[in-house]
Amino acid sequence: MNKTMGQRVALNTVGVLVAVLFAFPTYWMITSAFKPSVDLLTADYDLIPLSVTFDNFVTAINQPGFLTHLRNSLIVTLGAVACSLVAGVLAAFPLARLRFRGRKGFLLLVLIAQMAPMEALFIPMFLLMQDAGLLNQLPSLLLVYFAITLPFTVWTLRGFVQGIPFELEEAAMVDGCGRFGAFRRVILPLLGPGLVTTSVFAFITAWNEFLYALVFMRDSNKQTLPVWLSTFRSVFGTDWGAIMAASVLYALPALIFFMLVQRKLVSGATAGALKG
Amino acid sequence: MTTTAHVTVPAGPPPPAPPRAGRPRRADLGERTIPYLLLAPAVITMLVLLGWPAVQVVAISFRRLDLGELVRGEIVWIGLDNYRAALSDPEVWTVVLRTVVFTACVVAATVLVAGLLAILLRHLAPGVRVAVQTFLVLAWATPIVAATTVFQWIFDQQYGILNKTLVKLGFDGFAGYSWFSSGPSTLTVIGLMIVWQAVPFVCFTIYAGLLTAPRELYEAAAMDGASPWQAFTTVSWPSIRPLVMLATFLSVIWDFKVFAQVWAFRQGGPDGESTTLPVLLYLKGIASRHFGLASAIAVLMILVLLVLTARYLQLLLRSKEGDL
Amino acid sequence: MKRWTKVMTGAAAIALATAGCAGSGGTDSGGDAAAGEDRTLTVWLMDGSAPETLTDALHEEFEQANDGVTVKYEIQPWNGIQDKLTTALASQNPPDVIELGNTQAPAFAAEGVLTDLSGDVDALHGDQWLDSLKASGEWDGKQFSTPFYAANREIIYRTDMFEQAGIAAPPTSREEWLDAITKLEAKFGSDPQFQSLYLPGQNWYALLSFIWDEGGDIATKDGTNFSAALTTPEAKAGLEFYKQLVDASGTTAPKDNDEQNPVQAGIFGQGKVAMMIGLPWEVATATEDAPDLKDKISGFPIPSKNAGETAPVFQGGSNLAIPVNSANADLAKDYLKLLLSEKYQTMLAEAGMVPGASTDLSPLEADPVSKAMAEAAKNGRSVPATPAWATIEAGQNPLKDMLTAYLTGAKSLDQATADANTALDEAFSSGA
Repeated sequence: MNKTMGQRVALNTVGVLVAVLFAFPTYWMITSAFKPSVDLLTADYDLIPLSVTFDNFVTAINQPGFLTHLRNSLIVTLGAVACSLVAGVLAAFPLARLRFRGRKGFLLLVLIAQMAPMEALFIPMFLLMQDAGLLNQLPSLLLVYFAITLPFTVWTLRGFVQGIPFELEEAAMVDGCGRFGAFRRVILPLLGPGLVTTSVFAFITAWNEFLYALVFMRDSNKQTLPVWLSTFRSVFGTDWGAIMAASVLYALPALIFFMLVQRKLVSGATAGALKG
Repeated sequence: MTTTAHVTVPAGPPPPAPPRAGRPRRADLGERTIPYLLLAPAVITMLVLLGWPAVQVVAISFRRLDLGELVRGEIVWIGLDNYRAALSDPEVWTVVLRTVVFTACVVAATVLVAGLLAILLRHLAPGVRVAVQTFLVLAWATPIVAATTVFQWIFDQQYGILNKTLVKLGFDGFAGYSWFSSGPSTLTVIGLMIVWQAVPFVCFTIYAGLLTAPRELYEAAAMDGASPWQAFTTVSWPSIRPLVMLATFLSVIWDFKVFAQVWAFRQGGPDGESTTLPVLLYLKGIASRHFGLASAIAVLMILVLLVLTARYLQLLLRSKEGDL
Repeated sequence: MKRWTKVMTGAAAIALATAGCAGSGGTDSGGDAAAGEDRTLTVWLMDGSAPETLTDALHEEFEQANDGVTVKYEIQPWNGIQDKLTTALASQNPPDVIELGNTQAPAFAAEGVLTDLSGDVDALHGDQWLDSLKASGEWDGKQFSTPFYAANREIIYRTDMFEQAGIAAPPTSREEWLDAITKLEAKFGSDPQFQSLYLPGQNWYALLSFIWDEGGDIATKDGTNFSAALTTPEAKAGLEFYKQLVDASGTTAPKDNDEQNPVQAGIFGQGKVAMMIGLPWEVATATEDAPDLKDKISGFPIPSKNAGETAPVFQGGSNLAIPVNSANADLAKDYLKLLLSEKYQTMLAEAGMVPGASTDLSPLEADPVSKAMAEAAKNGRSVPATPAWATIEAGQNPLKDMLTAYLTGAKSLDQATADANTALDEAFSSGA
């Protein structure tokens, strides 16, 4: 890469500008979490908070059930991500590499499965879970989130498998690996970036889901964080400062999850270099 | 997609001829069932948990299913009445058109910004890149209730930081300017927010695609004296084209169905001017507890989506083998 | 492809045939309710409704009085409650007692999913019921839900500012109210951030007061049908008075939003606002970060155009009902009877709410802000008791659009009221 110093500086400046632009609403959320409630909206110019308080975080953490809800959310979300990735990888491989009857039908199913609006599905889903005796149990949510994120996962991973040169796989097979061995040693490592994208997607989708969590889980100790987040609003008005503080806490696990998996993105990049 | 696969092996001697000879031979039974076994978990999950409820929705759209019928477990078939009720509303076509235009704008903006950003990411110093990625993830992970609230505060007529800043910069006309006084303006703000939260995913996907194009190719292109644009069209574009199409297709579906964000701002107001199809579904169906009508609108939504994505689906069906 | 299509068609046919089985009623579940066996009464009250001291005492007393009965008390958040109630009522074990927002109660009653309580009104202390909530619980001549508690808006004001502006006593007529605004503006108006009255453009609860005070209403009733009445001179006069207040006070509150966005109590708490139209508990929000304001806040009822009277007010609140599928309806009635008895209604009043089944409002008089609410409560009213109203409130409220359009000058008075009238009529006809 032979770029001049000037070009590099210019590009990085643009990068910083974009970062600032994207960070601004998040910045506003975080500063709002540190503002006393009278300062949330003020006629004064408050790009930098006028005063700072930790009260909102104290309120948020003391709101009953934070840890229980956090645990439930983690179980449901991580469970759904894991199921989705396993089923997704298994399905992506034959879809990308093998020919068989019903392949196109299945692809259509995957595509159309994503079109139904979730708001309209909740009654049939509720009745289904009721008949299965799964209401008020965390596995019901896990299953729903698994199903919601699966079509996307299958579809995206299939794309990534197709992006991996067939020749690499064949070479491995020639070297004595079976089809499965070739898959494990060649394809799986190269899927790194794809797995990152899809798992982050699945994580955030499940992490944010509200309606089904509310409707399926009747007991408050079985509910998830989005429901907890909504308890800050009541007839007595809304404690927005606490909501912002709670939202900051709430967004952190998603960020941590990304930080953990993003290394894969880097190793995926090096794996890409191997191809040459 | 296969095109991607083949451009990636330019260096080194050509690979040994693949053992294609084995292929025409009839695969045995075990070999033939493998694809189905691998697909089974995904197929079963989707059929039971998405397919079955979706079929139910279609069935319910021909029934009167208000709260009373639901609680009593009554089945009242009313033929096409729900569809008639949905389509007889003179506003429904305006809403459909508005939803389509809104979706188109949001998707175009998302893909464009995300694509440019993904290309930019490649050229950034590692520190700056991590910073940009972190902020992107944060935007993506922000809970909807926080995001919608923060955006409403930023755009608040009186106390919003945006109007206050614009006035400071000398645009006095923005003192007390209302961003939510008309449908288009309200939808623009909502669209901005959706783009803000949608760009990260598309950007990461395209970036991941760019990473699969080996650096050597760029170097080769550079040595041949290719301009950056030529390098892009010959090296980058082929490796991201399928992903861009995929992201566009998925974004169309998602943005068309966006409900919570549109609802949170003005519940489809003022005067119903920011009402999109999902809002209509909620308002006429769920909130009024006419679940039959809600299902009919849902079916209409799926039909509109099928029309919008027809071209992509057609390409998929006509394409030979694993293209697309 | 063909085979695949066949499979789908087959699946659809099966679904059509069996879709009916779904949504089976649940009267048979919940165990045999034979006497002597252990029974569980599930009670759903909303977040923030009954204070914990009340429910603790209530449930202890109820469990002692009913051998073998356990009360399963579940506090529900407001967010998404419609969807949660819908599915819960359709489930195999619905709750036995539910709380409904008073404006939503007619929608549930009209669907026939609530137990008819007409025969139990007397036993449930019906003679003490608050009129507006009783009306919310009625549908088609029958009583489907009982009052629980209510609250109404009043004017919350800064005593110190009134004193400095030379206003001797709280206004008791519209004229005095406008006069107070003028005096406050004269005294403090030089501060650009000062607002004599904080009044956002979409406070439709305040508008209802003004319209009712003029002798008008938003709709007229004919049996179970309603038709909008926003084009009457009385309704227009109410709207004009709203504008008069906005103009006189020069309030900088957004014209395109309501009292929740931004939270008006927060703005009040910044100390630059002399008056706002709100509920008594908004004072707590306002003083949360400004404790020094606590002693400087009081309240007075929204004054009428007729000197000395208070204007009618919108009463928001809750009703209590028994789902029709409840397996323990008899127990649930006993529970309601106890909750609506004097002892617990007094506790509600002490917590700062207008009790739904007690005409004794004296516990509210200890606090000046609550006292002002109690004073106006006698003149409390509600929105049209129609299933459509739940939908109107859930989403696009024509009254809000009308206010914004008129106040910003986007529409004339006649145009704004005519448009809202049409929208309201449409909602009435489609919601039922």
